[in-house]
Amino acid sequence: MKYVDEFRDPELGRILAAEILAAVEPGRHYKFMEVCGGHTHSIYKYGVDDLLPANVELVHGPGCPVCVIPMGRVDDGIAVAREPGVIFTCFGDMMRVPGSEGSLLEAKAEGADIRMVYSPLDALRIAKQNPDREVVFFAIGFETTAPSTALTLKRAKAEGVTNFSCMCSHVTIVPPLRALLDSPDLRLDGFVGPGHVSTVVGARPFEFIPADYGRPIVVAGFEPLDVLQAIRMILGQLADGRCEVENQYARVVPYEGNQRALDVMAEVFELRPHFEWRGLGFISQSGLKLSDAYADLDAEVRFSVPGVRVADPKACQCGEVLKGVIKPWECKVFGTACTPERPIGTCMVSSEGACAAYYNYGRFAREREVV
Amino acid sequence: MQVERIDETRGLALCAAEDGSQSTVEIALVEPVAPGDRLLVHAGVALVGLEA
Repeated sequence: MKYVDEFRDPELGRILAAEILAAVEPGRHYKFMEVCGGHTHSIYKYGVDDLLPANVELVHGPGCPVCVIPMGRVDDGIAVAREPGVIFTCFGDMMRVPGSEGSLLEAKAEGADIRMVYSPLDALRIAKQNPDREVVFFAIGFETTAPSTALTLKRAKAEGVTNFSCMCSHVTIVPPLRALLDSPDLRLDGFVGPGHVSTVVGARPFEFIPADYGRPIVVAGFEPLDVLQAIRMILGQLADGRCEVENQYARVVPYEGNQRALDVMAEVFELRPHFEWRGLGFISQSGLKLSDAYADLDAEVRFSVPGVRVADPKACQCGEVLKGVIKPWECKVFGTACTPERPIGTCMVSSEGACAAYYNYGRFAREREVV
Repeated sequence: MQVERIDETRGLALCAAEDGSQSTVEIALVEPVAPGDRLLVHAGVALVGLEA
Protein backbone atom coordinates (compact mmCIF):
# COMPACT_ATOMS: atom_id res chain seq x y z
CA MET A 1 0.00 0.00 0.00
CA LYS A 2 1.41 3.38 -1.03
CA TYR A 3 2.57 5.58 1.87
CA VAL A 4 2.57 2.54 4.16
CA ASP A 5 4.76 -0.27 2.85
CA GLU A 6 7.74 1.95 2.07
CA PHE A 7 7.58 3.41 5.58
CA ARG A 8 7.75 -0.06 7.14
CA ASP A 9 10.74 -1.28 5.11
CA PRO A 10 13.00 -3.28 7.48
CA GLU A 11 16.18 -2.58 5.50
CA LEU A 12 15.60 1.17 5.53
CA GLY A 13 14.81 0.85 9.23
CA ARG A 14 18.18 -0.77 9.88
CA ILE A 15 19.92 2.01 7.91
CA LEU A 16 18.14 4.71 9.89
CA ALA A 17 18.91 2.96 13.18
CA ALA A 18 22.60 2.87 12.21
CA GLU A 19 22.51 6.58 11.32
CA ILE A 20 20.91 7.37 14.68
CA LEU A 21 23.57 5.36 16.48
CA ALA A 22 26.27 7.28 14.59
CA ALA A 23 24.63 10.64 15.34
CA VAL A 24 24.48 10.38 19.14
CA GLU A 25 27.28 11.64 21.32
CA PRO A 26 28.49 8.88 23.66
CA GLY A 27 27.94 9.91 27.26
CA ARG A 28 25.13 12.33 26.47
CA HIS A 29 21.57 11.40 27.41
CA TYR A 30 18.86 12.54 24.98
CA LYS A 31 15.25 12.86 26.07
CA PHE A 32 12.71 13.44 23.30
CA MET A 33 8.94 13.73 23.71
CA GLU A 34 6.59 12.30 21.12
CA VAL A 35 3.62 14.58 21.49
CA CYS A 36 0.96 12.50 19.81
CA GLY A 37 -0.64 9.31 21.11
CA GLY A 38 -0.52 7.90 17.59
CA HIS A 39 3.27 8.06 17.75
CA THR A 40 3.29 6.34 21.13
CA HIS A 41 1.18 3.56 19.68
CA SER A 42 3.48 3.19 16.66
CA ILE A 43 6.64 3.23 18.79
CA TYR A 44 5.46 0.32 20.90
CA LYS A 45 3.66 -1.60 18.16
CA TYR A 46 6.70 -1.65 15.89
CA GLY A 47 9.39 -1.78 18.56
CA VAL A 48 10.94 1.55 17.54
CA ASP A 49 12.24 1.90 21.10
CA ASP A 50 14.30 -1.26 20.63
CA LEU A 51 16.11 0.23 17.63
CA LEU A 52 17.35 3.27 19.55
CA PRO A 53 20.65 3.57 21.42
CA ALA A 54 20.31 3.29 25.20
CA ASN A 55 21.04 6.99 25.64
CA VAL A 56 18.07 8.08 23.47
CA GLU A 57 14.95 8.11 25.63
CA LEU A 58 11.43 8.70 24.35
CA VAL A 59 8.84 10.11 26.74
CA HIS A 60 5.16 10.32 25.96
CA GLY A 61 3.31 13.58 25.70
CA PRO A 62 -0.25 14.81 26.23
CA GLY A 63 -1.50 14.26 22.68
CA CYS A 64 -4.01 11.49 23.31
CA PRO A 65 -7.39 13.27 23.09
CA VAL A 66 -9.28 10.89 25.37
CA CYS A 67 -6.52 10.77 27.97
CA VAL A 68 -6.65 14.47 28.80
CA ILE A 69 -10.40 14.62 29.55
CA PRO A 70 -10.82 15.11 33.33
CA MET A 71 -13.19 13.04 35.43
CA GLY A 72 -15.52 15.96 36.08
CA ARG A 73 -16.09 16.36 32.37
CA VAL A 74 -17.12 12.70 32.08
CA ASP A 75 -19.53 13.27 34.97
CA ASP A 76 -20.96 16.26 33.09
CA GLY A 77 -21.51 14.09 30.03
CA ILE A 78 -23.27 11.39 32.06
CA ALA A 79 -25.51 14.01 33.70
CA VAL A 80 -26.61 15.28 30.27
CA ALA A 81 -27.03 11.72 28.96
CA ARG A 82 -29.45 10.98 31.82
CA GLU A 83 -31.69 13.94 30.97
CA PRO A 84 -35.14 12.73 29.79
CA GLY A 85 -35.43 12.36 26.03
CA VAL A 86 -31.71 12.73 25.34
CA ILE A 87 -29.73 10.59 22.91
CA PHE A 88 -26.10 11.14 23.90
CA THR A 89 -23.47 10.39 21.26
CA CYS A 90 -19.69 10.13 21.52
CA PHE A 91 -16.64 8.42 20.04
CA GLY A 92 -16.11 4.80 21.06
CA ASP A 93 -13.05 5.19 23.24
CA MET A 94 -14.74 7.97 25.22
CA MET A 95 -17.38 5.47 26.37
CA ARG A 96 -15.01 3.66 28.73
CA VAL A 97 -13.30 6.68 30.32
CA PRO A 98 -14.01 6.55 34.06
CA GLY A 99 -15.82 9.41 35.71
CA SER A 100 -16.14 9.71 39.48
CA GLU A 101 -19.12 7.34 39.55
CA GLY A 102 -18.62 5.24 36.45
CA SER A 103 -18.25 5.59 32.71
CA LEU A 104 -20.64 6.47 29.91
CA LEU A 105 -20.70 2.76 29.06
CA GLU A 106 -21.90 1.96 32.57
CA ALA A 107 -24.49 4.75 32.35
CA LYS A 108 -25.66 3.18 29.09
CA ALA A 109 -25.98 -0.20 30.82
CA GLU A 110 -28.10 1.52 33.47
CA GLY A 111 -30.54 2.76 30.84
CA ALA A 112 -29.24 6.03 29.41
CA ASP A 113 -29.50 6.22 25.61
CA ILE A 114 -25.80 6.60 24.77
CA ARG A 115 -24.63 5.74 21.29
CA MET A 116 -21.18 5.38 19.79
CA VAL A 117 -20.52 7.33 16.59
CA TYR A 118 -17.60 7.42 14.18
CA SER A 119 -18.15 11.04 13.21
CA PRO A 120 -20.20 14.01 14.45
CA LEU A 121 -21.99 13.76 11.11
CA ASP A 122 -23.38 10.42 12.34
CA ALA A 123 -24.73 12.21 15.41
CA LEU A 124 -26.41 14.82 13.20
CA ARG A 125 -27.97 12.05 11.14
CA ILE A 126 -29.36 10.47 14.33
CA ALA A 127 -30.86 13.87 15.23
CA LYS A 128 -32.59 14.10 11.85
CA GLN A 129 -33.92 10.56 12.25
CA ASN A 130 -35.26 11.33 15.75
CA PRO A 131 -36.89 14.78 15.58
CA ASP A 132 -38.76 14.22 18.87
CA ARG A 133 -35.51 13.56 20.80
CA GLU A 134 -32.64 15.84 21.85
CA VAL A 135 -29.37 14.55 20.38
CA VAL A 136 -26.14 15.68 22.02
CA PHE A 137 -22.66 15.10 20.59
CA PHE A 138 -19.82 14.95 23.13
CA ALA A 139 -17.03 16.58 21.13
CA ILE A 140 -13.47 15.75 22.14
CA GLY A 141 -10.12 15.93 20.45
CA PHE A 142 -7.46 18.33 19.28
CA GLU A 143 -7.43 20.44 16.13
CA THR A 144 -7.54 17.22 14.08
CA THR A 145 -11.13 16.55 15.15
CA ALA A 146 -12.40 20.05 15.84
CA PRO A 147 -12.97 20.90 12.13
CA SER A 148 -15.26 17.87 11.87
CA THR A 149 -17.37 19.16 14.76
CA ALA A 150 -17.35 22.69 13.34
CA LEU A 151 -18.53 21.57 9.91
CA THR A 152 -21.26 19.45 11.51
CA LEU A 153 -22.53 22.42 13.54
CA LYS A 154 -22.52 24.59 10.41
CA ARG A 155 -24.48 21.89 8.61
CA ALA A 156 -26.96 21.59 11.51
CA LYS A 157 -27.55 25.35 11.44
CA ALA A 158 -27.88 25.48 7.65
CA GLU A 159 -30.34 22.58 7.63
CA GLY A 160 -32.33 23.95 10.59
CA VAL A 161 -31.80 20.89 12.79
CA THR A 162 -32.86 22.29 16.16
CA ASN A 163 -32.79 19.07 18.22
CA PHE A 164 -29.00 18.74 17.87
CA SER A 165 -26.43 20.23 20.23
CA CYS A 166 -22.77 19.84 21.10
CA MET A 167 -21.01 19.49 24.44
CA CYS A 168 -17.67 20.89 23.40
CA SER A 169 -14.52 19.55 25.06
CA HIS A 170 -12.13 20.23 22.20
CA VAL A 171 -8.62 21.27 23.19
CA THR A 172 -5.69 22.88 21.42
CA ILE A 173 -2.15 21.53 21.25
CA VAL A 174 0.09 24.55 21.77
CA PRO A 175 -0.87 25.58 25.35
CA PRO A 176 -0.09 22.18 26.96
CA LEU A 177 3.26 22.05 25.16
CA ARG A 178 4.10 25.47 26.53
CA ALA A 179 2.98 24.33 30.00
CA LEU A 180 5.24 21.28 29.74
CA LEU A 181 8.18 23.38 28.63
CA ASP A 182 7.60 25.71 31.58
CA SER A 183 7.47 22.75 33.98
CA PRO A 184 10.55 22.29 36.16
CA ASP A 185 9.78 18.53 36.37
CA LEU A 186 10.88 17.81 32.85
CA ARG A 187 14.01 18.47 30.81
CA LEU A 188 13.50 17.71 27.15
CA ASP A 189 15.99 17.87 24.29
CA GLY A 190 13.48 17.89 21.45
CA PHE A 191 10.03 16.98 20.20
CA VAL A 192 8.56 14.58 17.68
CA GLY A 193 5.72 16.86 16.59
CA PRO A 194 2.12 15.76 16.04
CA GLY A 195 1.38 14.73 12.46
CA HIS A 196 -2.38 14.80 12.13
CA VAL A 197 -2.93 17.94 14.20
CA SER A 198 -0.45 19.60 11.88
CA THR A 199 -2.51 18.77 8.78
CA VAL A 200 -4.90 21.38 10.19
CA VAL A 201 -2.72 23.90 12.06
CA GLY A 202 0.44 23.39 9.98
CA ALA A 203 3.95 23.40 11.39
CA ARG A 204 4.18 27.16 11.93
CA PRO A 205 2.44 27.22 15.37
CA PHE A 206 5.34 25.17 16.76
CA GLU A 207 7.92 27.83 15.93
CA PHE A 208 7.72 29.06 19.54
CA ILE A 209 9.47 25.86 20.69
CA PRO A 210 12.82 26.65 19.05
CA ALA A 211 12.31 30.42 19.31
CA ASP A 212 11.32 30.66 22.99
CA TYR A 213 12.69 27.44 24.47
CA GLY A 214 15.64 26.55 22.25
CA ARG A 215 14.41 23.04 21.47
CA PRO A 216 14.10 21.41 18.02
CA ILE A 217 10.83 19.90 16.83
CA VAL A 218 10.23 17.65 13.83
CA VAL A 219 6.62 17.08 12.73
CA ALA A 220 6.38 13.38 11.94
CA GLY A 221 4.14 10.76 10.39
CA PHE A 222 2.99 7.60 12.10
CA GLU A 223 4.74 4.73 10.39
CA PRO A 224 7.83 3.32 12.12
CA LEU A 225 10.25 4.82 9.61
CA ASP A 226 8.56 8.21 9.99
CA VAL A 227 9.32 8.17 13.71
CA LEU A 228 12.88 6.92 13.20
CA GLN A 229 13.55 9.55 10.56
CA ALA A 230 12.15 12.29 12.83
CA ILE A 231 14.51 11.19 15.61
CA ARG A 232 17.38 11.19 13.11
CA MET A 233 16.42 14.74 12.06
CA ILE A 234 16.27 15.98 15.69
CA LEU A 235 19.68 14.48 16.37
CA GLY A 236 20.94 16.12 13.18
CA GLN A 237 19.76 19.52 14.40
CA LEU A 238 21.43 19.02 17.77
CA ALA A 239 24.68 17.86 16.14
CA ASP A 240 24.69 20.86 13.80
CA GLY A 241 23.82 23.31 16.57
CA ARG A 242 20.56 24.11 14.78
CA CYS A 243 17.20 24.55 16.45
CA GLU A 244 14.16 24.83 14.22
CA VAL A 245 10.84 23.37 13.09
CA GLU A 246 11.25 20.69 10.45
CA ASN A 247 8.54 18.77 8.65
CA GLN A 248 9.27 15.08 8.14
CA TYR A 249 5.59 14.46 7.22
CA ALA A 250 5.63 16.74 4.18
CA ARG A 251 3.72 14.18 2.12
CA VAL A 252 0.66 15.06 4.24
CA VAL A 253 1.34 18.21 6.28
CA PRO A 254 1.46 21.60 4.53
CA TYR A 255 3.64 23.99 6.55
CA GLU A 256 0.76 26.48 6.72
CA GLY A 257 -1.91 23.87 7.53
CA ASN A 258 -5.43 23.82 6.11
CA GLN A 259 -6.69 27.41 6.02
CA ARG A 260 -10.29 26.38 5.33
CA ALA A 261 -10.28 24.20 8.44
CA LEU A 262 -8.81 27.02 10.50
CA ASP A 263 -11.45 29.42 9.15
CA VAL A 264 -14.38 27.17 10.01
CA MET A 265 -12.97 26.56 13.50
CA ALA A 266 -12.60 30.32 14.01
CA GLU A 267 -16.22 30.83 13.01
CA VAL A 268 -17.73 28.12 15.20
CA PHE A 269 -15.44 28.09 18.26
CA GLU A 270 -13.84 30.51 20.64
CA LEU A 271 -11.23 29.91 23.31
CA ARG A 272 -12.29 29.26 26.89
CA PRO A 273 -10.38 31.36 29.43
CA HIS A 274 -9.31 28.14 31.18
CA PHE A 275 -9.82 24.43 30.63
CA GLU A 276 -8.98 21.57 32.97
CA TRP A 277 -6.70 18.82 31.63
CA ARG A 278 -6.41 15.50 33.36
CA GLY A 279 -3.15 15.46 35.22
CA LEU A 280 -2.07 18.87 33.97
CA GLY A 281 -4.64 20.99 35.80
CA PHE A 282 -6.10 24.19 34.39
CA ILE A 283 -4.34 25.61 31.34
CA SER A 284 -5.25 29.06 30.07
CA GLN A 285 -6.84 29.38 26.63
CA SER A 286 -6.40 25.69 25.89
CA GLY A 287 -10.02 24.61 25.40
CA LEU A 288 -12.69 25.51 22.87
CA LYS A 289 -16.34 26.42 23.39
CA LEU A 290 -19.00 27.32 20.87
CA SER A 291 -18.94 30.93 19.73
CA ASP A 292 -21.88 33.24 20.41
CA ALA A 293 -23.13 32.67 16.86
CA TYR A 294 -23.54 28.96 17.67
CA ALA A 295 -24.66 29.28 21.31
CA ASP A 296 -28.11 27.91 20.37
CA LEU A 297 -26.39 24.59 19.57
CA ASP A 298 -24.37 24.53 22.80
CA ALA A 299 -25.46 21.63 25.04
CA GLU A 300 -23.99 23.43 28.05
CA VAL A 301 -26.48 26.25 27.45
CA ARG A 302 -29.37 23.92 26.65
CA PHE A 303 -28.91 21.56 29.62
CA SER A 304 -27.90 21.85 33.24
CA VAL A 305 -24.27 20.73 33.49
CA PRO A 306 -22.90 20.14 37.02
CA GLY A 307 -19.40 21.38 36.17
CA VAL A 308 -17.95 19.96 39.37
CA ARG A 309 -14.20 19.47 39.51
CA VAL A 310 -13.26 15.93 40.57
CA ALA A 311 -9.80 14.91 41.70
CA ASP A 312 -8.19 11.96 39.92
CA PRO A 313 -8.07 8.69 41.89
CA LYS A 314 -5.05 8.69 44.21
CA ALA A 315 -3.70 5.44 42.80
CA CYS A 316 -3.77 6.75 39.23
CA GLN A 317 -0.64 8.46 37.91
CA CYS A 318 -1.97 9.39 34.46
CA GLY A 319 -0.96 12.98 35.10
CA GLU A 320 2.68 12.07 35.51
CA VAL A 321 2.51 9.77 32.47
CA LEU A 322 0.94 12.57 30.40
CA LYS A 323 3.69 14.94 31.46
CA GLY A 324 6.35 12.36 30.62
CA VAL A 325 7.59 12.39 34.23
CA ILE A 326 7.15 8.63 34.65
CA LYS A 327 6.91 5.73 32.22
CA PRO A 328 3.63 3.78 32.10
CA TRP A 329 5.09 0.76 33.90
CA GLU A 330 6.28 2.98 36.76
CA CYS A 331 2.66 3.73 37.75
CA LYS A 332 1.67 1.87 40.90
CA VAL A 333 -1.42 0.27 39.36
CA PHE A 334 -0.13 -0.38 35.81
CA GLY A 335 -1.02 -3.85 34.61
CA THR A 336 -2.43 -4.92 37.96
CA ALA A 337 -5.44 -2.92 39.13
CA CYS A 338 -5.41 -0.91 35.88
CA THR A 339 -5.65 -2.84 32.59
CA PRO A 340 -7.34 -2.13 29.24
CA GLU A 341 -10.18 -4.41 30.31
CA ARG A 342 -10.67 -2.56 33.62
CA PRO A 343 -8.98 0.84 33.32
CA ILE A 344 -8.58 3.22 36.24
CA GLY A 345 -6.86 5.94 34.27
CA THR A 346 -7.54 7.39 30.84
CA CYS A 347 -4.10 6.45 29.50
CA MET A 348 -5.16 2.81 29.75
CA VAL A 349 -8.50 3.41 27.99
CA SER A 350 -7.67 4.78 24.58
CA SER A 351 -5.63 2.83 22.05
CA GLU A 352 -3.58 6.05 21.74
CA GLY A 353 -2.95 6.15 25.49
CA ALA A 354 0.64 5.49 26.52
CA CYS A 355 -0.34 2.91 29.13
CA ALA A 356 -2.57 0.95 26.74
CA ALA A 357 0.08 1.04 24.01
CA TYR A 358 2.71 -0.13 26.43
CA TYR A 359 0.44 -2.78 27.96
CA ASN A 360 -0.51 -4.16 24.53
CA TYR A 361 2.96 -4.21 22.98
CA GLY A 362 5.87 -2.89 25.00
CA ARG A 363 5.51 -5.03 28.10
CA PHE A 364 6.60 -8.08 26.13
CA ALA A 365 9.88 -6.41 25.24
CA ARG A 366 10.32 -5.48 28.88
CA GLU A 367 9.65 -9.06 29.94
CA ARG A 368 12.43 -10.13 27.58
CA GLU A 369 14.77 -7.65 29.24
CA VAL A 370 13.91 -9.00 32.67
CA VAL A 371 14.60 -12.55 31.52
CA MET B 1 -9.42 6.72 1.43
CA GLN B 2 -10.15 6.88 -2.27
CA VAL B 3 -12.96 8.99 -3.71
CA GLU B 4 -15.51 6.92 -5.63
CA ARG B 5 -18.44 9.28 -6.16
CA ILE B 6 -19.15 12.93 -5.37
CA ASP B 7 -22.41 14.61 -4.31
CA GLU B 8 -21.54 18.22 -5.08
CA THR B 9 -24.84 19.68 -3.87
CA ARG B 10 -24.32 18.25 -0.38
CA GLY B 11 -20.52 18.60 -0.30
CA LEU B 12 -20.08 14.88 0.38
CA ALA B 13 -18.14 12.07 -1.27
CA LEU B 14 -18.49 8.32 -1.13
CA CYS B 15 -15.02 7.02 -0.33
CA ALA B 16 -13.53 3.55 -0.06
CA ALA B 17 -10.90 2.42 2.41
CA GLU B 18 -8.11 -0.01 1.52
CA ASP B 19 -10.18 -2.89 2.91
CA GLY B 20 -13.04 -2.03 0.55
CA SER B 21 -15.35 -0.58 3.20
CA GLN B 22 -17.18 2.55 2.10
CA SER B 23 -18.18 5.66 3.98
CA THR B 24 -19.56 9.11 3.33
CA VAL B 25 -17.00 11.84 3.78
CA GLU B 26 -17.35 15.61 4.16
CA ILE B 27 -15.11 17.22 1.50
CA ALA B 28 -15.62 20.93 2.21
CA LEU B 29 -12.05 21.37 3.46
CA VAL B 30 -10.34 19.83 0.42
CA GLU B 31 -12.56 20.69 -2.56
CA PRO B 32 -12.29 20.32 -5.48
CA VAL B 33 -11.81 16.57 -5.51
CA ALA B 34 -12.38 14.04 -8.26
CA PRO B 35 -13.08 10.29 -8.33
CA GLY B 36 -9.81 8.44 -7.82
CA ASP B 37 -8.31 11.09 -5.53
CA ARG B 38 -6.86 9.86 -2.25
CA LEU B 39 -7.79 11.72 0.92
CA LEU B 40 -6.68 11.67 4.54
CA VAL B 41 -9.95 11.33 6.45
CA HIS B 42 -10.45 11.90 10.16
CA ALA B 43 -13.80 11.55 11.94
CA GLY B 44 -15.70 11.63 8.67
CA VAL B 45 -13.99 14.74 7.29
CA ALA B 46 -11.27 14.87 4.63
CA LEU B 47 -8.43 16.99 6.01
CA VAL B 48 -5.95 16.84 3.15
CA GLY B 49 -5.58 15.41 -0.33
CA LEU B 50 -2.69 13.00 -0.85
CA GLU B 51 -0.44 13.10 -3.88
CA ALA B 52 -1.12 10.43 -6.49
